[in-house]
Amino acid sequence: MACAEFEDLLADYAELSGESRLRVDAHAATCADCQEFLDALHAVDATLAAQFAGREVSAGFGQAVRRRVQRKTAVRRPSFIPELLDFVGWSAIIAVIAFTLYWASALIPISNEAAKAFNANAGWAVAAAFLLVSFLIGLHSFVELKY
Amino acid sequence: MEQEIRACLDQKRYREAFDLLLPEYQNKVFRLACAMLGDAALAEDLAQDVFVRIWKALAGYRGQSALSTWIYAITRNACLTALRKGAGRKEISVEEPGVGQAVEALSAPAEAPARGGMDVTGLVAQLPEKHAQVLRLYYMEEKSYEEVSRLLEMPMGTVKVYLHRGRKQLAQALARSKMEKRTG
Repeated sequence: MACAEFEDLLADYAELSGESRLRVDAHAATCADCQEFLDALHAVDATLAAQFAGREVSAGFGQAVRRRVQRKTAVRRPSFIPELLDFVGWSAIIAVIAFTLYWASALIPISNEAAKAFNANAGWAVAAAFLLVSFLIGLHSFVELKY
Repeated sequence: MEQEIRACLDQKRYREAFDLLLPEYQNKVFRLACAMLGDAALAEDLAQDVFVRIWKALAGYRGQSALSTWIYAITRNACLTALRKGAGRKEISVEEPGVGQAVEALSAPAEAPARGGMDVTGLVAQLPEKHAQVLRLYYMEEKSYEEVSRLLEMPMGTVKVYLHRGRKQLAQALARSKMEKRTG
Protein backbone atom coordinates (compact mmCIF):
# COMPACT_ATOMS: atom_id res chain seq x y z
CA MET A 1 0.00 0.00 0.00
CA ALA A 2 1.10 3.56 -0.65
CA CYS A 3 2.18 5.61 2.34
CA ALA A 4 -0.92 7.13 3.94
CA GLU A 5 0.82 10.49 4.13
CA PHE A 6 1.35 10.61 0.37
CA GLU A 7 -1.73 8.81 -0.88
CA ASP A 8 -3.95 11.91 -0.93
CA LEU A 9 -1.21 14.01 -2.50
CA LEU A 10 -0.69 11.36 -5.16
CA ALA A 11 -4.41 11.23 -5.93
CA ASP A 12 -4.29 14.98 -6.63
CA TYR A 13 -0.95 14.74 -8.44
CA ALA A 14 -2.11 16.60 -11.56
CA GLU A 15 -3.14 19.60 -9.48
CA LEU A 16 -0.12 19.82 -7.22
CA SER A 17 1.97 22.96 -7.19
CA GLY A 18 5.58 22.70 -8.37
CA GLU A 19 7.03 22.40 -4.87
CA SER A 20 4.56 19.75 -3.71
CA ARG A 21 5.06 17.80 -6.90
CA LEU A 22 8.83 17.78 -6.42
CA ARG A 23 8.35 16.50 -2.86
CA VAL A 24 5.98 13.75 -4.06
CA ASP A 25 8.31 12.83 -6.94
CA ALA A 26 11.26 12.60 -4.57
CA HIS A 27 9.31 10.33 -2.26
CA ALA A 28 7.90 8.17 -5.06
CA ALA A 29 11.41 7.68 -6.44
CA THR A 30 12.44 5.92 -3.24
CA CYS A 31 9.12 4.27 -2.28
CA ALA A 32 8.07 1.37 -4.49
CA ASP A 33 4.53 1.24 -3.05
CA CYS A 34 3.87 4.91 -3.73
CA GLN A 35 5.37 4.61 -7.21
CA GLU A 36 3.04 1.68 -7.86
CA PHE A 37 0.07 3.67 -6.60
CA LEU A 38 1.04 6.57 -8.85
CA ASP A 39 1.35 4.24 -11.85
CA ALA A 40 -2.05 2.78 -11.02
CA LEU A 41 -3.52 6.29 -10.92
CA HIS A 42 -2.05 7.08 -14.32
CA ALA A 43 -3.48 3.82 -15.68
CA VAL A 44 -6.90 4.64 -14.22
CA ASP A 45 -6.78 8.15 -15.71
CA ALA A 46 -5.69 6.94 -19.14
CA THR A 47 -8.29 4.19 -19.21
CA LEU A 48 -11.18 6.36 -18.05
CA ALA A 49 -10.23 9.11 -20.49
CA ALA A 50 -10.08 6.59 -23.35
CA GLN A 51 -13.38 5.10 -22.24
CA PHE A 52 -15.41 8.25 -21.71
CA ALA A 53 -13.83 11.28 -23.43
CA GLY A 54 -15.63 12.80 -26.39
CA ARG A 55 -18.80 10.74 -26.13
CA GLU A 56 -21.47 11.97 -28.47
CA VAL A 57 -24.92 10.94 -29.54
CA SER A 58 -25.24 8.64 -32.55
CA ALA A 59 -25.59 10.12 -36.04
CA GLY A 60 -29.35 9.63 -36.31
CA PHE A 61 -30.17 11.13 -32.93
CA GLY A 62 -31.40 14.52 -34.15
CA GLN A 63 -33.63 12.97 -36.82
CA ALA A 64 -35.08 10.47 -34.36
CA VAL A 65 -35.97 13.28 -31.95
CA ARG A 66 -37.52 15.38 -34.72
CA ARG A 67 -39.64 12.42 -35.86
CA ARG A 68 -40.91 11.90 -32.33
CA VAL A 69 -41.59 15.58 -31.87
CA GLN A 70 -43.58 15.74 -35.12
CA ARG A 71 -45.73 12.86 -33.94
CA LYS A 72 -46.43 14.81 -30.78
CA THR A 73 -47.75 17.66 -32.99
CA ALA A 74 -46.96 21.20 -32.09
CA VAL A 75 -46.41 22.85 -28.75
CA ARG A 76 -49.67 22.85 -26.86
CA ARG A 77 -51.31 26.20 -27.21
CA PRO A 78 -53.49 27.53 -24.40
CA SER A 79 -57.20 26.81 -24.71
CA PHE A 80 -59.64 29.52 -25.77
CA ILE A 81 -62.44 27.94 -23.74
CA PRO A 82 -61.84 29.90 -20.48
CA GLU A 83 -61.90 33.18 -22.43
CA LEU A 84 -65.08 32.14 -24.25
CA LEU A 85 -66.72 31.22 -20.95
CA ASP A 86 -65.63 34.59 -19.52
CA PHE A 87 -67.33 36.33 -22.39
CA VAL A 88 -70.54 34.32 -22.20
CA GLY A 89 -70.72 34.56 -18.39
CA TRP A 90 -70.24 38.30 -18.18
CA SER A 91 -72.65 38.89 -21.05
CA ALA A 92 -75.33 36.80 -19.35
CA ILE A 93 -74.90 38.52 -15.97
CA ILE A 94 -74.97 41.99 -17.45
CA ALA A 95 -77.89 41.18 -19.77
CA VAL A 96 -79.93 39.88 -16.80
CA ILE A 97 -79.19 43.05 -14.81
CA ALA A 98 -80.09 45.27 -17.81
CA PHE A 99 -83.41 43.54 -18.49
CA THR A 100 -84.30 43.49 -14.80
CA LEU A 101 -83.74 47.24 -14.66
CA TYR A 102 -85.81 47.69 -17.83
CA TRP A 103 -88.80 45.70 -16.55
CA ALA A 104 -88.53 47.33 -13.13
CA SER A 105 -88.70 50.76 -14.74
CA ALA A 106 -91.83 49.73 -16.67
CA LEU A 107 -93.59 48.88 -13.37
CA ILE A 108 -93.20 52.41 -12.02
CA PRO A 109 -96.49 54.30 -12.63
CA ILE A 110 -95.85 57.43 -14.67
CA SER A 111 -98.72 59.66 -15.73
CA ASN A 112 -97.04 61.97 -18.17
CA GLU A 113 -96.77 60.49 -21.73
CA ALA A 114 -93.48 62.26 -22.48
CA ALA A 115 -91.97 60.95 -19.27
CA LYS A 116 -93.20 57.44 -20.18
CA ALA A 117 -91.51 57.63 -23.58
CA PHE A 118 -88.31 58.90 -21.98
CA ASN A 119 -88.40 56.11 -19.42
CA ALA A 120 -88.75 53.46 -22.16
CA ASN A 121 -85.84 54.90 -24.14
CA ALA A 122 -83.70 55.13 -21.02
CA GLY A 123 -84.38 51.44 -20.38
CA TRP A 124 -83.12 50.48 -23.80
CA ALA A 125 -80.14 52.80 -23.43
CA VAL A 126 -79.17 51.17 -20.13
CA ALA A 127 -79.55 47.69 -21.67
CA ALA A 128 -77.41 48.68 -24.65
CA ALA A 129 -74.75 50.19 -22.37
CA PHE A 130 -74.58 47.01 -20.28
CA LEU A 131 -74.29 44.85 -23.39
CA LEU A 132 -71.50 47.06 -24.68
CA VAL A 133 -69.64 46.76 -21.35
CA SER A 134 -70.03 42.95 -21.41
CA PHE A 135 -68.70 42.87 -24.96
CA LEU A 136 -65.67 44.98 -23.96
CA ILE A 137 -64.96 42.73 -20.96
CA GLY A 138 -65.10 39.70 -23.24
CA LEU A 139 -62.83 41.37 -25.77
CA HIS A 140 -60.31 42.30 -23.05
CA SER A 141 -60.34 38.69 -21.92
CA PHE A 142 -59.48 37.49 -25.45
CA VAL A 143 -56.69 40.02 -25.81
CA GLU A 144 -55.11 38.96 -22.53
CA LEU A 145 -54.49 35.38 -23.65
CA LYS A 146 -51.85 33.94 -21.37
CA TYR A 147 -49.03 32.04 -23.06
CA MET B 1 -26.81 30.91 -29.07
CA GLU B 2 -28.89 31.05 -25.91
CA GLN B 3 -29.89 34.62 -26.80
CA GLU B 4 -31.00 33.53 -30.28
CA ILE B 5 -33.08 30.74 -28.80
CA ARG B 6 -34.61 33.10 -26.25
CA ALA B 7 -35.44 35.60 -28.99
CA CYS B 8 -37.31 32.86 -30.87
CA LEU B 9 -39.15 31.88 -27.70
CA ASP B 10 -40.11 35.50 -26.99
CA GLN B 11 -41.64 35.66 -30.45
CA LYS B 12 -43.34 32.28 -29.91
CA ARG B 13 -41.35 30.71 -32.75
CA TYR B 14 -41.12 27.43 -30.87
CA ARG B 15 -40.20 25.19 -33.82
CA GLU B 16 -37.28 27.44 -34.71
CA ALA B 17 -36.17 27.63 -31.08
CA PHE B 18 -36.26 23.84 -30.82
CA ASP B 19 -34.27 23.43 -34.05
CA LEU B 20 -31.58 25.66 -32.54
CA LEU B 21 -31.44 24.08 -29.11
CA LEU B 22 -31.41 20.44 -30.22
CA PRO B 23 -27.93 20.43 -31.82
CA GLU B 24 -26.65 22.81 -29.16
CA TYR B 25 -27.59 20.65 -26.17
CA GLN B 26 -27.91 17.08 -27.50
CA ASN B 27 -24.41 15.99 -26.50
CA LYS B 28 -24.54 17.70 -23.12
CA VAL B 29 -27.87 16.06 -22.32
CA PHE B 30 -26.59 12.69 -23.53
CA ARG B 31 -23.38 12.91 -21.47
CA LEU B 32 -25.25 13.96 -18.35
CA ALA B 33 -27.67 11.04 -18.82
CA CYS B 34 -24.79 8.70 -19.60
CA ALA B 35 -22.93 9.75 -16.45
CA MET B 36 -26.00 9.40 -14.26
CA LEU B 37 -27.27 6.10 -15.69
CA GLY B 38 -23.91 4.53 -16.55
CA ASP B 39 -25.26 3.06 -19.79
CA ALA B 40 -24.83 4.73 -23.18
CA ALA B 41 -27.77 3.01 -24.91
CA LEU B 42 -30.17 3.84 -22.08
CA ALA B 43 -28.77 7.37 -21.97
CA GLU B 44 -29.48 7.94 -25.65
CA ASP B 45 -33.07 6.74 -25.31
CA LEU B 46 -33.53 8.92 -22.26
CA ALA B 47 -31.96 11.91 -24.03
CA GLN B 48 -34.61 11.51 -26.76
CA ASP B 49 -37.34 11.49 -24.12
CA VAL B 50 -35.81 14.59 -22.55
CA PHE B 51 -35.99 16.51 -25.83
CA VAL B 52 -39.61 15.46 -26.37
CA ARG B 53 -40.35 16.78 -22.86
CA ILE B 54 -38.49 19.98 -23.64
CA TRP B 55 -40.56 20.41 -26.79
CA LYS B 56 -43.80 19.93 -24.90
CA ALA B 57 -42.74 22.32 -22.15
CA LEU B 58 -41.13 24.96 -24.36
CA ALA B 59 -44.18 27.23 -24.36
CA GLY B 60 -44.11 27.21 -20.56
CA TYR B 61 -40.46 28.25 -20.27
CA ARG B 62 -40.56 31.69 -18.70
CA GLY B 63 -36.86 32.41 -18.70
CA GLN B 64 -36.49 32.68 -14.90
CA SER B 65 -33.34 30.57 -15.12
CA ALA B 66 -30.78 30.11 -17.89
CA LEU B 67 -32.02 27.84 -20.66
CA SER B 68 -29.13 25.42 -20.03
CA THR B 69 -30.01 25.24 -16.32
CA TRP B 70 -33.62 24.46 -17.23
CA ILE B 71 -32.60 21.76 -19.73
CA TYR B 72 -30.13 20.12 -17.32
CA ALA B 73 -32.74 20.14 -14.55
CA ILE B 74 -35.20 18.32 -16.84
CA THR B 75 -32.46 15.81 -17.71
CA ARG B 76 -31.48 15.20 -14.08
CA ASN B 77 -35.12 14.70 -13.08
CA ALA B 78 -35.65 12.26 -15.96
CA CYS B 79 -32.52 10.34 -14.93
CA LEU B 80 -33.54 10.23 -11.26
CA THR B 81 -36.96 8.90 -12.27
CA ALA B 82 -35.31 6.28 -14.50
CA LEU B 83 -32.95 5.28 -11.68
CA ARG B 84 -35.84 4.98 -9.23
CA LYS B 85 -37.77 2.83 -11.70
CA GLY B 86 -34.68 0.70 -12.29
CA ALA B 87 -33.65 -2.28 -10.27
CA GLY B 88 -32.28 -0.08 -7.49
CA ARG B 89 -28.64 -0.72 -8.08
CA LYS B 90 -26.88 -1.86 -4.94
CA GLU B 91 -23.85 0.20 -4.00
CA ILE B 92 -20.88 -2.04 -3.52
CA SER B 93 -17.44 -1.12 -2.28
CA VAL B 94 -14.44 -2.07 -4.35
CA GLU B 95 -13.26 -3.84 -1.19
CA GLU B 96 -15.99 -6.47 -1.63
CA PRO B 97 -15.01 -9.87 -3.05
CA GLY B 98 -17.39 -9.75 -6.03
CA VAL B 99 -15.55 -6.77 -7.41
CA GLY B 100 -12.38 -8.81 -7.79
CA GLN B 101 -13.21 -9.83 -11.35
CA ALA B 102 -13.66 -6.27 -12.48
CA VAL B 103 -10.37 -5.27 -10.86
CA GLU B 104 -8.80 -8.21 -12.62
CA ALA B 105 -10.14 -6.90 -15.92
CA LEU B 106 -8.68 -3.48 -15.21
CA SER B 107 -5.28 -4.70 -14.12
CA ALA B 108 -4.64 -7.19 -16.91
CA PRO B 109 -4.69 -4.83 -19.87
CA ALA B 110 -2.76 -2.20 -17.90
CA GLU B 111 0.23 -4.48 -18.16
CA ALA B 112 -0.39 -5.14 -21.82
CA PRO B 113 -0.56 -2.22 -24.24
CA ALA B 114 -3.87 -3.37 -25.78
CA ARG B 115 -6.65 -2.14 -23.52
CA GLY B 116 -9.57 -3.60 -25.39
CA GLY B 117 -10.61 -6.01 -22.65
CA MET B 118 -10.87 -3.54 -19.74
CA ASP B 119 -14.25 -3.42 -18.08
CA VAL B 120 -13.78 0.04 -16.64
CA THR B 121 -17.46 0.81 -16.95
CA GLY B 122 -18.22 -2.18 -14.77
CA LEU B 123 -15.61 -1.22 -12.22
CA VAL B 124 -16.76 2.40 -12.02
CA ALA B 125 -20.34 1.18 -11.63
CA GLN B 126 -19.30 -0.57 -8.42
CA LEU B 127 -18.34 2.74 -6.82
CA PRO B 128 -20.93 4.65 -4.78
CA GLU B 129 -23.41 6.16 -7.23
CA LYS B 130 -22.42 9.81 -6.79
CA HIS B 131 -18.71 9.01 -7.11
CA ALA B 132 -19.36 7.04 -10.28
CA GLN B 133 -21.49 9.82 -11.79
CA VAL B 134 -18.86 12.46 -11.09
CA LEU B 135 -16.06 10.25 -12.43
CA ARG B 136 -17.84 9.49 -15.71
CA LEU B 137 -18.86 13.07 -16.31
CA TYR B 138 -15.41 14.42 -15.43
CA TYR B 139 -13.78 12.35 -18.16
CA MET B 140 -16.61 12.94 -20.64
CA GLU B 141 -16.40 16.70 -20.12
CA GLU B 142 -12.67 16.93 -20.79
CA LYS B 143 -11.80 17.06 -17.09
CA SER B 144 -13.66 20.27 -16.36
CA TYR B 145 -14.73 20.62 -12.72
CA GLU B 146 -16.92 23.60 -13.67
CA GLU B 147 -18.91 21.62 -16.23
CA VAL B 148 -19.38 18.66 -13.88
CA SER B 149 -20.51 21.02 -11.14
CA ARG B 150 -22.93 22.83 -13.48
CA LEU B 151 -24.39 19.69 -15.05
CA LEU B 152 -24.90 17.81 -11.82
CA GLU B 153 -25.77 21.01 -9.91
CA MET B 154 -23.25 20.08 -7.27
CA PRO B 155 -20.80 22.39 -5.45
CA MET B 156 -17.34 22.33 -7.00
CA GLY B 157 -15.77 21.27 -3.69
CA THR B 158 -18.05 18.24 -3.56
CA VAL B 159 -17.16 17.35 -7.16
CA LYS B 160 -13.46 17.44 -6.26
CA VAL B 161 -13.98 15.32 -3.15
CA TYR B 162 -16.02 12.66 -5.00
CA LEU B 163 -13.52 12.59 -7.84
CA HIS B 164 -10.59 12.28 -5.47
CA ARG B 165 -12.24 9.42 -3.59
CA GLY B 166 -13.33 7.62 -6.77
CA ARG B 167 -9.93 7.76 -8.44
CA LYS B 168 -8.20 6.79 -5.22
CA GLN B 169 -10.44 3.76 -4.74
CA LEU B 170 -9.86 2.60 -8.30
CA ALA B 171 -6.10 3.11 -8.07
CA GLN B 172 -5.93 1.31 -4.71
CA ALA B 173 -7.86 -1.62 -6.15
CA LEU B 174 -5.58 -1.76 -9.18
CA ALA B 175 -2.34 -1.44 -7.17
CA ARG B 176 -3.53 -4.11 -4.74
CA SER B 177 -4.43 -6.44 -7.58
CA LYS B 178 -1.00 -6.02 -9.16
CA MET B 179 0.69 -6.68 -5.85
CA GLU B 180 -1.36 -9.84 -5.31
CA LYS B 181 -0.41 -11.07 -8.76
CA ARG B 182 3.27 -10.56 -8.05
CA THR B 183 3.16 -12.31 -4.69
CA GLY B 184 1.15 -15.14 -6.20
